[in-house]
Order: sequence, then C-alpha cells, then structure tokens
Amino acid sequence: MYVWIWRRLPGGLPGKLVGSLVLLAGALALLFFIVFPYAERRLPFQDITVDPQPTPRPTVTVSAAP
Amino acid sequence: MAEVTAAAPTVHMRGDGWRMAARGIGQLLITFGVVILLFVVYELWGTNFYTQGQQNQLEDSIHHGWNGGGPDITQTNVKNVPLGSGIAVLRIPRFGKNYHMVIVEGTGYEDLKRGPGHYPGTALPGQVGNFAVAGHRTTYLAPFNKIDTIRRGDAIVLETKSKWLVYRVQDVPAGRGYPAVPFHEIVDPTDVQVAFAVPDQSNPDKKPKLRLLTFTSCNPKYSATQRFVVHAELEKVQPKNDGPPAALTAGG
Repeated sequence: MYVWIWRRLPGGLPGKLVGSLVLLAGALALLFFIVFPYAERRLPFQDITVDPQPTPRPTVTVSAAP
Repeated sequence: MAEVTAAAPTVHMRGDGWRMAARGIGQLLITFGVVILLFVVYELWGTNFYTQGQQNQLEDSIHHGWNGGGPDITQTNVKNVPLGSGIAVLRIPRFGKNYHMVIVEGTGYEDLKRGPGHYPGTALPGQVGNFAVAGHRTTYLAPFNKIDTIRRGDAIVLETKSKWLVYRVQDVPAGRGYPAVPFHEIVDPTDVQVAFAVPDQSNPDKKPKLRLLTFTSCNPKYSATQRFVVHAELEKVQPKNDGPPAALTAGG
C-alpha cells in the first residue's frame, strides 16, 4: 500500500518526500479533527455526570448544547 | 526496500501475489494500530488544547463581567444563568497553587469539554442547597484528575464577582432533615441523589438548609462504570476587598 503510493508520488526523491509529508499531514488532520472527535462521542469515556434514565429533573439538558 | 529491488531486478516472480497480499495486510494492521495509538494521544493530550483555549476565553469573559455590569452569581436566580456561561473560578489548594478553572453552566457534552460544569437547576455558589459540579477526570484538561486525593478538611475555594467562598470538605452529620452524607462516596452513574439539594435521600425537592457543594467525576480513572463524588460545606464568605482567603495564601 505504502509502496504503491510512494511509486506514484511525482518529483523524484525530494518530491516524493514532500508529497509523503503532505499526505501524512492530511491523514493526521483528518484523524484529529474529524474522525477522533466523531469516535469520541460514540465511546463512553466522557460520561462523568450522574444522570437518571427517565430524567426526573426537567432542567437538565443532555448534551444538546451548541 | 531500495536494496532489495536493486539486487533483484526481475521483481515479478511466482508467489509475489501472496507476498504482496501478506505485506498489504501487515501494513493495514500496523496502520490500524498506529491510528489507535494516535487516538489515545488525541484523547489524553490533544483535547487539553481545546479546553485550555476555551478556559482562556471563559476567563476573559468572566473578568469582563466582574469588572463591568455583570451579575453577582451568588445573588442570581439559578434559572437566569445562560448555558455555557462562566459561573465562578474554582481553586483547590490540594491540586496545587496554580490550579484554577472556570466553572461553566451546564453538564452537556460540549459544556464539559470547556471546563467543569454546573448541574443546571442546582444551587449557585454560596446559596442554600447543593452547588453540584461535574468535571472530567481524564481528557479535556482533566479538572478533577486528582479528585481521589481530596481529603476531609480540604478547602475548595470559589471566586465570584465580589466574594471569596470557602467550602470545606467534610461529612455532613445526620440531622436537621439531612441523612449522614460522607465527604466522599463512589456511586452508580444513575445515583442522581448525590446532587440533590438535600443529598443522599430520595426526594429531589426536599427543602435544603445547608450550603453544600458536590463534585462528580468518573471512577475508576479512564472508566465510566461509577462516579466519584465529593461533598463540602460552605465555611466562610469574605469580600474580595479583603484579599484572597487564608486557604489560598497559607502554605500548602
């Protein structure tokens, strides 16, 4: 997979290095700004409040903030 | 890699298909492992930057409110506090001299990413009832990371527009309509009664007499199966003009 990408990057060795870094940065940005925040919401690590299931307290807003 | 291709110019041999497939799967698995590790880095380290940025903004706006015409939170009706606004600045000497966090209104997912969050509807700082606050134990600057180090007798200090409020971590003895409330307890995630105006009994609307504070966070660390709870009672209120309370200035 990586060999395949490496072969297709243009510009000789310098071009390939720059291209690799750009791709890596892109992949990291995608993970950190889109994939991880999305995954986090679906994982239970962030539950720190006490919450009743049927919400007897009407004033409680459950994670509907902007 | 370069040496291999140089030494063997005729790369395409029988069995290459299997080799390529095995290599491809291997690389995929390694990539997957690296992504998981990166996720851990993101959670434990990356999320701090977001919260720090939000805290800086909250700090600016809360000071702006204090210096300008902002309301005094201790005199405010709890219904009039907008979600997401800064309520008070929290200091816990046990967590270190430099520890301070702005408590935000609301315990929604987005609120708690910004800092410790006040359970809407529970008492405000200094008021009769139970000022209940939830905070992350890990990730997002982990305001309650060391909640398990809090001991009986520790001070929890809130700075508001015109006053310093010093809460003292202690057991609430049974009596005056209150059940015995231990200074710390570990409960199930559904045990909302820890945040009731009169904690640890079944009636959420029971009329409170004391001015309590309650923290909730997750327990064990990195898990969400239980809640770690700390209770404290208001000990002292002093005007800002008198300078910071002894709980903050005294060594340790």
